[in-house]
Amino acid sequence: MMSRRKFLLLTGAAAAGAFLTPQISAKTQFIESPEEVEAKRRWAMAVDVEKCTECMRELIAKTGNPEVKPPCVVACDKENNVPEFEDKRIDPQWMRIAKLELDKPEVNPKEFYIPLLCNHCENPPCVQVCLTKASFKRPDGIVEIDMHRCIGCRYCMIACPYGARSFNFRNPREGLKEVNPNVQMRTEGVVEKCTFCVHRIDEAVAKGEEPIPACVEACHKYGKGALVFGNIKDPNSEISKILRENIVVQLRANLGTDPHVFYTKLGGE
Amino acid sequence: MAVEFKKIEGDSVQYFALVIVLAVVTALGFYAYVLDHQLGGLNGLSNRVPWGIVNAGIPYFIGLSAGSLIVSALAGVFNIKKYKVFSRIAAYMAAAWIIAAILSIALDIGKFYHFMNAVRYFNPTSIFSWNAFLYSSYFVICSVYLLVQFEEMERATRFMAGLAVFWAVLVHSGTGAIYSFVYSRELYHSALTPPMFIVCAITSGLGLLLANLYFTFRFTKRELDPKLIRGLALIFAGLMMVLGYFLAVEGLEKGYIPALHEAVQFVFLTPTSGVFWSFWLLVIFGIAIPVIIVLNPKTGYDLRWISLAGIMHAALVFAERFYLIVPGQVFPEEYLPGYKIESLHTLEGYIVTYTPTIIEWLQIIGLIAMVYLVYVIGVKVFALIPERAVEEVVEE
Repeated sequence: MMSRRKFLLLTGAAAAGAFLTPQISAKTQFIESPEEVEAKRRWAMAVDVEKCTECMRELIAKTGNPEVKPPCVVACDKENNVPEFEDKRIDPQWMRIAKLELDKPEVNPKEFYIPLLCNHCENPPCVQVCLTKASFKRPDGIVEIDMHRCIGCRYCMIACPYGARSFNFRNPREGLKEVNPNVQMRTEGVVEKCTFCVHRIDEAVAKGEEPIPACVEACHKYGKGALVFGNIKDPNSEISKILRENIVVQLRANLGTDPHVFYTKLGGE
Repeated sequence: MAVEFKKIEGDSVQYFALVIVLAVVTALGFYAYVLDHQLGGLNGLSNRVPWGIVNAGIPYFIGLSAGSLIVSALAGVFNIKKYKVFSRIAAYMAAAWIIAAILSIALDIGKFYHFMNAVRYFNPTSIFSWNAFLYSSYFVICSVYLLVQFEEMERATRFMAGLAVFWAVLVHSGTGAIYSFVYSRELYHSALTPPMFIVCAITSGLGLLLANLYFTFRFTKRELDPKLIRGLALIFAGLMMVLGYFLAVEGLEKGYIPALHEAVQFVFLTPTSGVFWSFWLLVIFGIAIPVIIVLNPKTGYDLRWISLAGIMHAALVFAERFYLIVPGQVFPEEYLPGYKIESLHTLEGYIVTYTPTIIEWLQIIGLIAMVYLVYVIGVKVFALIPERAVEEVVEE
């Protein structure tokens, strides 16, 4: 018969073991303090809808495929190890293109194309609801997911107003032809999304260069240059100029999330 | 004469057969989970509908837990002696259902071995994070409440009864808030959900408790006074009508907003979707018919009919959870108001169907079987049910 003391000790030890199981936690290391970073950098993207639409129209006409993946999406998939599954219901997609049409086609029947990606909101609902703080916002505005903390409850997917998040119903490796070793690999059962190519940003900042995410790079190389990425805390950056000189639209701005993907030239000015 | 609680004999063939059947169904449920996670692709979920019926199990089980507890403990708080006969079984069931709810979370999440992260890390802005604390403490409160009842500590019992009611309301409002505070989806967002959860909890918890009592007393050949049940049945019917009222107000308010006309049309008037059926089946078989059964003098005094009403309602409250969780995901949101958006590479902008698969149903049914397994064993091991439950017990 087990003594009461022994029983309590064992229960205590079991509880402690459950709580304190060693788990690796990804912590973002900055050379500067969070306040310094916050004062200096806030990453954002601007989308020229006119150019994006032009690129997509040409591409669809050329390939005859209305669901063709443009260079930006292809580059994103490749760079970030975003798997390709045939079943659209479970296929993760960090960046995707959407067809946009006025609800009153008799007034304007034209179709436009815009890219959709994580908006890296100033007030991200996903971070707000995350149980474990696995989703977090860095001082430079990038919203990231700590894959070691994520329990896969998918509350963030429900909370995200922009459908930016995908759940790994299957192991992503099964849907990859090759793996980019520079980007963290995910497993089955966690949520993933666009990171603004955070690995590229950190590398560029450390070297004192201008960072450029894979989609933006591809857009300029093979597309029409519709995407511009940069630091809006720097008044001389290209993106700051664009935001100053255009009417910009944020998706679902009424929610107060303050998304940081800005759409310009909607309707082709 | 005080109420005498007594263990059941539990040595008949039927008893052991019931235990075995429940154990097998429970095991099947967990096996379904293993299959679901090892093989993948066996559930009906998608990136557009990431929360399905296993997730719906969380608020459903918590509701059943909170409901049965609120009723019995309220009797303790206000010292309504005649309902004391049910106080132990209600507290015991409350503890069992909350375990089912926590297991439902464990089965639903994608990374089971990260489960303890939910307790280790706390995010004060996450309602779910608060609930992780509330659920575990609620289980402890239920257990202590049951313990002081076993020890017949009068004052402690009354105190714990009060605390348990307060905690049950907190826990269940919190659960309602997980869903209804989601402001990114119009069909989720409603301040009425938490109070509706409380009402729904009481009706479903009470409904199942009534059926539970009837069958337990019948199979153990103990005496159950229909007059005692009648009082509870009337509360049950009254609150079902309140639930109907809440649903009507909420639906009409959504329907009044022009921006939501299409969504409301889809939810309430499109019979090709499961969402439509979850709502109307709930209204007809989960509210209207049970209310009629209880209020009709021909059936309302018959324990068998009342049990039927209780089971019907409790079962269809699961449809209510479906109606709460699924439509907001199935119906697409407008990213840019005034514009129709259709994604080329995902299913955003489209109505995405969600049909729960047998694998998902088995997990829910397995958890229900587990609770009843715990109950059936409980009445044998602990003195949970009274020898006789009649009104005159009170007057002593």
